[in-house]
Amino acid sequence: MKDTEIIERTQGLLGGRVLAIANPSGRRIFLTVAPGELPGVVRALRDGLGFTHLVTISGVDKGDVFEILYHFANAHACLSVRTEIPRSEPRIPTLTSIIPGAILYEREIQEMFGIVVEGIPDPRRLLISDDWPAENFPLRKDWKFTRPEETIPGGRL
Amino acid sequence: MLKRLARWSRIKSPWILHLNSGACNACDIEIVAALTPRFDLERLGVLLKATPRHADVIICTGPVTRQVKDRLIRIYEQVPDPKFVVAVGACAMSGCVYRGAYNIEGGIDQVIPVDAYVPGCPARPDAILDGVVKLLGKL
Repeated sequence: MKDTEIIERTQGLLGGRVLAIANPSGRRIFLTVAPGELPGVVRALRDGLGFTHLVTISGVDKGDVFEILYHFANAHACLSVRTEIPRSEPRIPTLTSIIPGAILYEREIQEMFGIVVEGIPDPRRLLISDDWPAENFPLRKDWKFTRPEETIPGGRL
Repeated sequence: MLKRLARWSRIKSPWILHLNSGACNACDIEIVAALTPRFDLERLGVLLKATPRHADVIICTGPVTRQVKDRLIRIYEQVPDPKFVVAVGACAMSGCVYRGAYNIEGGIDQVIPVDAYVPGCPARPDAILDGVVKLLGKL
């Protein structure tokens, strides 16, 4: 399947739900959708075009908005679904009913960016330590980390 | 007399505990390599133990992560006295590339006292062997 064919079929499947579509390099396609449309779009891509493999979910802190990218792959191309959510109300719907493996990425997104994934079956922390203070999201750009004071054993420099 | 016997037995059979507190596994592979017949650490009486309660020497690799900090202290406290800690690798010495990350406390010596440092990324098996032997020479 060529890139142009995938783009055509995507547009046919999704119609007006696609806000923008880009093909910056070979076998690489970027879709932009509204956050509310995500589950429907992902279900259509999975059933219609065979994008069954969710590679990862990545988040970008762009100041006023968070950009969330869902990277999918099938045998022919990588397709990334972009969506932007406001920083003041960071909520995205869960994909676990469509792709069960998405739960690990969604849990990580929750603890690293402080984004609330609505409808996630298991909202526990994934990677961050148990004693981590609440409301501290290490991948947000405005979060600053001060290194704990290091002691030199023996007191020598 | 008893003191000399205890010292002799300590030097002749340092049982070790291999502990990874957040390393990338490279140092662990080198430690496992050091235990193979090629380097034959067992001729010095070194024996790998599965529990801290049987060990005399903790061989620590990796930086101390925030999650493992309390567990590391707990394991250290389980080792019977006298106990010794060998920090293997650059991360165990200072935190190395992970130093200053939000989930890293620093090197092993920020949490528990360290007796010997073995530099390297990863440290060679001969260097680890040398570190353990130097530690035994201190006794």
